[in-house]
Amino acid sequence: MLEVYTWEPNANSGKPLLCLKEKQVEFTYHYIDMGKREQHSEDYKKINPQGTIPTVVHDGFVMTESTPANEYIDDAFDGPSLRPPDPFWRWRMRQVMRYMDNIVCPALAMVASNQLAPPNFLKMSEEERRRELDKIPTPERRKTWEMLMFNTTPRSDIEESKRRIEVAIKRFDALLKETPYLAGEEFSLADVDVMATFYGLPLNNAFEVDAEATPHLWHWLKRCHARPGIQAAFGLGRGFITKRAAEVREALGVETVAAETVA
Amino acid sequence: MIALYHGGPAGHSGSVLVMLAEKGVEYEDRRLDLGRFEQHDEAFLALNPEGMVPVLVVDGRPLTETAYILHYLEERFPEPRLDGANPRDRYRTHWWDKYVEGHLAPALAIVAGSRGAPAVAAAGVTRLTPERRALWIKALEGGFSADEISGAQTTLGRAVDQFERALDETAWLNGETFGMADILAFPHAERLGDLSDVPPGARTLAWLEAVRKRPSVATVLAQRGRETAFALGPEAPRWG
Repeated sequence: MLEVYTWEPNANSGKPLLCLKEKQVEFTYHYIDMGKREQHSEDYKKINPQGTIPTVVHDGFVMTESTPANEYIDDAFDGPSLRPPDPFWRWRMRQVMRYMDNIVCPALAMVASNQLAPPNFLKMSEEERRRELDKIPTPERRKTWEMLMFNTTPRSDIEESKRRIEVAIKRFDALLKETPYLAGEEFSLADVDVMATFYGLPLNNAFEVDAEATPHLWHWLKRCHARPGIQAAFGLGRGFITKRAAEVREALGVETVAAETVA
Repeated sequence: MIALYHGGPAGHSGSVLVMLAEKGVEYEDRRLDLGRFEQHDEAFLALNPEGMVPVLVVDGRPLTETAYILHYLEERFPEPRLDGANPRDRYRTHWWDKYVEGHLAPALAIVAGSRGAPAVAAAGVTRLTPERRALWIKALEGGFSADEISGAQTTLGRAVDQFERALDETAWLNGETFGMADILAFPHAERLGDLSDVPPGARTLAWLEAVRKRPSVATVLAQRGRETAFALGPEAPRWG
């Protein structure tokens, strides 16, 4: 039995969902509501003591890291291969995923969460915020959430993150000039990774992503958004993300092929 | 043709040297003198703008990131199999890739950096990418804050537990046979005794000894001299 504990088809939460829909593997989706911080609940910490999402559980084998879990899914299940057969392109795939994990995703998470989260937390009393903070099991994550809850992320850190995202957009555009997908001729786990985080860029005003400024990235977004597996994965959400993905398809002129899917 | 640019039989470079020995692959040996910061020379930065060893050059294409160089070698030279016997063991290999690069190596770099980096390192720092430049300047100026150093020690203390737990579950890091996770983690794990406030546990010490006895590892370790150059590892995670 394959179970996925995660939030919406968005960023790290979305990676196993996009991977499984592309791979056409059946799974049980346990929705963890990040808005209610269910990932820090005692019930969830019994499954993943670190309180992070996603968690993928296959026949009792618990996986808490999304990039290795996606490699596992491609390795353990039948279905279309999501890793290029050639060792060099496989290296490229992993290089892109590492760059996402270490540089791009933390930068984007910092920028996005500092736009969205502090106003909500500032409405809560200090005592209430401290109580929420105490539920977070690891010190690194507690530190990050503390900055969010008390709105103390240094501005210079946020600026540095924006710079990193701009560099990443240019770098991906350059890679996609060489090949239609990030790790060669075929769609791979590298595309899953970047799509899960970058799917909304055409509607994000903060960064310049359009047919003129980043033509190769733009066409890649169109190719990926047109894929039935990707559309099915974005259809799994419960609200904003699914609606956003549909709006992006419209902005890109991409037809919606898979209406609804089983969760 | 395969050429390895490396910094000698320690750290990340040590892992690739062991992997090449395991696979019996012939390669051109291009050792850089990290003590003289040859990794910041323009010729090397053309291969890796981050100024980090090792780099494996295959048919003119430079491959970076130690864990992925190991996977490349595994896939190109499948014998003996070192990435794990089944999908679960292979997941463990990928898990350790991420853990070593994302947590262990950056924390070791901060603690080692806080003990003072050699001043000569300034050579070539301005030529690096902005991320690497900032990290080097911090290490050179003794700029790791007390917070960063204590955070790194927390990470190392948890790493000590992580190794003990993993080695309780399986004989080697990625399963019941020696493999890539052992090759990748070993050069970092052996620094825990010196750099971590919490000393490594009994299972970890026994595992370190078992790894040292592996013929490929013994051969590589035999090339070690007394001098070890200071090398700055990867950047610590910026946002949990």
